[in-house]
Amino acid sequence: MSVSTDPSSTVAAPASPGGDRRVGAWWLVAALVLGLALGVGGGLLIPRFTTPGDDSAEAGFLRDMSTHHAQAVEMSMIAHADSTDSRIVTLAGDIALTQHGQIGYMQAWLRDWGLSPTSSQEPMAWMPDSAGSVVNGLMPGMATPDQLTKLRAATGKDLNVQYLTLMRQHHLGGIHMAQEILKLSDHKDVTWLAQTMVTGQQSEINLIDQLLKSIQGT
Amino acid sequence: MSTPGPERVPSTVKVGKTSGQGKPPAGGSSSRSGASRPGAKKAAPGKGGKGKGRKPVTPVKVAGGRNWGPIAVAGVVVLIAVGIIGYGVFAAVKGGGSWEDRLNAIDGVVDYRAQKNAAIDARDHKDGTLQYVTSPPVGGAHNGVWQNCMGDVYTEPIANEHAVHSLEHGAVWVTYKPGLAAGQIDELKKKVEGQDYMFMSPYAGLDKNVSVQVWGYQLKTDDASDSRIDEFIKNARLNASMEPGAACSSGNTTTGPVTASAPGAGS
Repeated sequence: MSVSTDPSSTVAAPASPGGDRRVGAWWLVAALVLGLALGVGGGLLIPRFTTPGDDSAEAGFLRDMSTHHAQAVEMSMIAHADSTDSRIVTLAGDIALTQHGQIGYMQAWLRDWGLSPTSSQEPMAWMPDSAGSVVNGLMPGMATPDQLTKLRAATGKDLNVQYLTLMRQHHLGGIHMAQEILKLSDHKDVTWLAQTMVTGQQSEINLIDQLLKSIQGT
Repeated sequence: MSTPGPERVPSTVKVGKTSGQGKPPAGGSSSRSGASRPGAKKAAPGKGGKGKGRKPVTPVKVAGGRNWGPIAVAGVVVLIAVGIIGYGVFAAVKGGGSWEDRLNAIDGVVDYRAQKNAAIDARDHKDGTLQYVTSPPVGGAHNGVWQNCMGDVYTEPIANEHAVHSLEHGAVWVTYKPGLAAGQIDELKKKVEGQDYMFMSPYAGLDKNVSVQVWGYQLKTDDASDSRIDEFIKNARLNASMEPGAACSSGNTTTGPVTASAPGAGS
């Protein structure tokens, strides 16, 4: 191509100086406009094609994990407010702040992707073979309304043991969900957060086990 | 490189016939183009002989101005560009509607935000019993403590003053006429249980069987399995929050009217 266009300009110049130069200029303008249009169009569209969609496993995970996390915050705030054991107060505050912060990440990503924080799908629908894992709307590891009522009424050692037991169960369910999205997704942000949930909650389970042993031993 | 060669030869014949004026300068330029060609010769040494014959010919053809190859390429590129841009516009128009637009598109939804009613828009914290301009309320001054809205299913009426604070936090409040059939209540319960930013309670004096509301929007219907309820929840839950990130936990979990001294959080 370059071979044929080069001579054209050198030939055209002496033959009819004004005319062919104008044609060349138009080609240049057209090429610039096209390049601009393609660039803008591509820039607008590529994010749409590359962010997860409304029915994606990633979106389902972020929505469900937000709800799952919210209950951990709820239980932890109860323990944080009512426990008299400084180790429980510290752990509960840590869990509440961490998980509430992570809810912020998850909600912000849904917003970035132009997706609603709520879907019309059932909880856990993003997970294969999840049928039966949701009982009365509760995802794996979540405490029942009765268990929460008892936790609110509990005091002293009773409160600490109930909180640690419920939180242990809650973490196990959360780790299970996070491991599932790690299998299903290669989205860099989502898998990063899910991986930190797996390792963070696993180490908290170890701490909970130590605390349970210590508290129940007394 | 080899395919354009044969094509050029016939085209030069045509051009040569139509415009003789192109020939004199062509001779001059051919020496220039010939000088710049050694690279091309290396690429196809077998055609060196042909190249000599082509030299005077190639520029002449281009002077004719009908270079269909580039024109076709440009045409395809334009088509692709227009297609991409067109799809972008389509996608933006189709998916770009705000949650408010989608909510207002649901038949029967009342948009109280649009009314700019100071009594509904007020967000102050006030103790004691408060008056609301709609039933159930959709906004306005409220108690400092919010009603726990972690998928809580309250079986007794709750205080408006706490519930409105939950609406401010982005929760959907599902209310129903006391005495509604158990099957209908179960239908509503399924939408609430296990879902944060959702709570439900019976509401005395309701003019329809069911009313769902968030801050500034309300939908009333007589049928608990009305699909508009799901549409309302899908588009309004959390989106309607006046304080993004505010929690539904640590709220009041008791039923009954607001007490003179506000109950402590989480109690």
